[in-house]
Amino acid sequence: MSAHDINLSYVPTWCAGCGNYGIINALKKALTSLNLDLEQTVLATGIGCASKISQYVNTYRIETLHGRSLPVATGVKLANHNLTVIAEGGDGDGMGLGMGHFIHTARRNLDITYFIHNNQIYGLTKGQTSPTSDLGAVTKFTPAPLGNVEQPINIVKMALNAGATFVARGFVGNSAQLISLMAEAIKHPGFAVVDILQPCVTFNHVNTYPWYQQRVKVIDNMEGYDPTSLDKALFFAGLWGEQIPIGLYYRTIRPTYHESLPQLSEQSLMQQKIDNVDITGLMKELY
Amino acid sequence: MMKKRYYTCLFAGEAGYGVMSAGSIIAKGANRNGLWSFLVNEYPSLIQGGLNSCLVRLADQSLSSYEETLDFLGLFSQQGFDYYADKLNPGAIVLYDPATTQVDESKVPEGTLLYPVSLTSFVPKGGAKIMINSAMLGSFCALTGYPKNVVIDVIKNEFHNAKIQQENIKILEEVYEHIVSSLPSQNVFPFTFHKHAEPKILINGNEAISIAAIQAGCKFSAGYPMTPGSSVLSYLADHGRDYGLVFKQAEDEIAAINMLIGASFTGVRSIGSTSGGGFALMVEALGFAAMAEVPVVMVNAQRGGPSTGLPTRTAQADLNFVVYASQGEFPRIVLAPGDIEECFYETFRVFNLADKYQVPCIILTDKYLADSSVSHPLFATGHLTIDRGKRFEENVDRQEPYLRYQNTPDGISTRAFPGQVGGRHIATSYTHGEDGFYSSGNKEYALNEPTVTKESMDKLYNKLPSMEKDIPAIKFYGPSEADVTIIAWGSTKGAILEAMEQAAIEGICVNFLQVLYISPFPATAVEPILQKAKKTLLIEGNKTGQLGGILAAHTGYKANHSFFKYNSRAFVPSEILAKIKEVLL
Ligand SMILES: Cc1ncc(C[n+]2csc(CCOP(=O)(O)OP(=O)(O)O)c2C)c(N)n1
Ligand code: SF4
Ligand SMILES: [Mg+2]
Repeated sequence: MSAHDINLSYVPTWCAGCGNYGIINALKKALTSLNLDLEQTVLATGIGCASKISQYVNTYRIETLHGRSLPVATGVKLANHNLTVIAEGGDGDGMGLGMGHFIHTARRNLDITYFIHNNQIYGLTKGQTSPTSDLGAVTKFTPAPLGNVEQPINIVKMALNAGATFVARGFVGNSAQLISLMAEAIKHPGFAVVDILQPCVTFNHVNTYPWYQQRVKVIDNMEGYDPTSLDKALFFAGLWGEQIPIGLYYRTIRPTYHESLPQLSEQSLMQQKIDNVDITGLMKELY
Repeated sequence: MMKKRYYTCLFAGEAGYGVMSAGSIIAKGANRNGLWSFLVNEYPSLIQGGLNSCLVRLADQSLSSYEETLDFLGLFSQQGFDYYADKLNPGAIVLYDPATTQVDESKVPEGTLLYPVSLTSFVPKGGAKIMINSAMLGSFCALTGYPKNVVIDVIKNEFHNAKIQQENIKILEEVYEHIVSSLPSQNVFPFTFHKHAEPKILINGNEAISIAAIQAGCKFSAGYPMTPGSSVLSYLADHGRDYGLVFKQAEDEIAAINMLIGASFTGVRSIGSTSGGGFALMVEALGFAAMAEVPVVMVNAQRGGPSTGLPTRTAQADLNFVVYASQGEFPRIVLAPGDIEECFYETFRVFNLADKYQVPCIILTDKYLADSSVSHPLFATGHLTIDRGKRFEENVDRQEPYLRYQNTPDGISTRAFPGQVGGRHIATSYTHGEDGFYSSGNKEYALNEPTVTKESMDKLYNKLPSMEKDIPAIKFYGPSEADVTIIAWGSTKGAILEAMEQAAIEGICVNFLQVLYISPFPATAVEPILQKAKKTLLIEGNKTGQLGGILAAHTGYKANHSFFKYNSRAFVPSEILAKIKEVLL
């Protein structure tokens, strides 16, 4: 088996037509295009339909708890910062239980790539409102006639405000762009977020492929586009409705968390020798 | 056997007067000069005001506990007098500043020596309030005969700023001269100082655990502050750096334990520390660590509960919680160290056990053990060796797929760390087969789900026999036959051992079964001891006798007598001795 062999024999259990198929293909192509050593790559996922992606990609993988992919990925990265670390999961996983971790991972600028499969619904638990569900969304937990009365979270806006240094939105229906966004995100040194619009064909009958197709607009061609400007990025992030911009919103360079730690300047924690530690100095302090 | 001599002093006052620092200077000075110290801090959960106290018990032999019977009481506040007036030994010295403290002579035992000294007047105008503790120390030396130079040496060591050092020493000398020239010195201090004594450390439980973690090659820690667990984290944040350790303050305890799992999955030894509330938030991830077989080491320093409870006071009421906390079932290791020695050596061992058995490990201490400083000989470390357990061997040419969770007779499979060639796998929180694949996530697996489920659960529990053989789970003290057998765990140990010494002097024969590792429960080891026991006395710092419940569940044995203390303070030897006598009546 070569270090670039990305396929596993297991067959995904997603519903026929699910957007997750497009995302896993894009992920594999992105990883392949970067020619990454997959033995040196860790994929940490949460729990949900989206998070099952870790079961089907041949890297080192850790399938964590619902909402907890980012702290686990943080531990991985700090233990061995030479690894490529990717976290992945659903919109519920990331914006519900995982919201605190998301904000903090962003402000710390950990060198982790975070792909959110945003189907605006809880898929695996069979169709409840997600933090990204649109106003009025009718789900199992917000039945008709009222539907969802809570303002949805805009992942791109949230990422920009929290301090993520690479922020993009992709759409599974535009695979060429998605592959390149994912590859760029993985290459980016710092916390890189890609909000991936993903239809759930089984439980979300509003935000469907045609619904997205009618609205998504490649951001690069939009007037005033400038991914070096946070203000511009926030402006485009505010567009969610008739037009939904897809592409790279913002990219900047800030020192990553592990770069700011002197302990990690020469070697990773994993590379340190651990036998024959000498605690004499610590005891002397306590005389 | 000779009765031990003790000298106990206590400083009490509002937060901000340097009560703790006064006590620790006295304790350190004694510790450096051949004596033994035992220091207990009590403080409420607030930043200003309140009653802080620092008790220092001194002896010329090693100490394992304290008594609240005072030979010297140094007061910075009225509350201090009101709380401690009835805890004075005959002939005790009480030093107070009449500006802050009114002493009601009817409240103190006859023969108490009361010394009003205007401590505040020695602090120069505009000087920091905390400098008053130097005035207290000067008076302490002048009145008791504790050598002034010993205190000055420690001050020189503690204060690195030369100006602050000089200011404090000046105050100390002035008060000292004032008292020596105006008041009769008692010269009651009963011990001789030995300048060239064998060096010892003065160390608390959290420091011992932290240093053991460093010795064990732990390189990562993550946590969220919660008293009394925090000081492990701050020790590692501060001292760990020099050993290449990274401490990450997390956004909450859920993040903390998940970070530890991430680091440990990657191959780095990791430790966290918290108290009951934080541990509660970690429970889901504890099961994740168990299911994915990622070792983590977690300290739970108990405080009063339930809920926010008593943040700064001691308790032993989380035992059931840490032993049973989980959805589903999994084996875990629960260590309950009873003293500094065990905090150090057993923490070191736990890191090895965690790697060998790939299970979550909990070190259960409490505020009293975590926070009380005790004189201890230097830790000998030459014999300590690191055992990382079964590791995956890199092999470029291997043909067969790597099975992270391969079934083996002892339930333990090899661990591959990310980056190792040929070791790619999935570690998962789902019930899984040998390859880590989710039991119902795939057609072939779905058909075998009942088999895979049972096998994976059996795999976890197949580790138990070797764990039980490997872990020195109990300790036994005293003669093999005794009138009373004490059963206890954790920090009650020190008071029990001292009570046993006193009992022996009085001709009462007591022995003591200490359950050091409560999970896996050492049923086979305790049974012969219990069979021999004439009368058993269960001692615990909780309301319901939690160890007693666990013991009964595993052995059917019910202790004859019990002594439960849950008033937010630690056990002292005298009350245990009294209970022993009561049991024998
Ligand atoms: C602590 C916890 N709470 C709830 C669940 C149940 N649960 C599993 S997946 C999920 C939501 C999934 O939604 P999302 O993250 O959007 O992923 P999707 O299935 O839509 O891809 C929930 C609530 C769980 N596994 N753990
Ligand atoms: S429920 Fe929705 S998200 Fe989940 S697999 Fe089916 S289509 Fe995909
Ligand atoms: Mg979803």
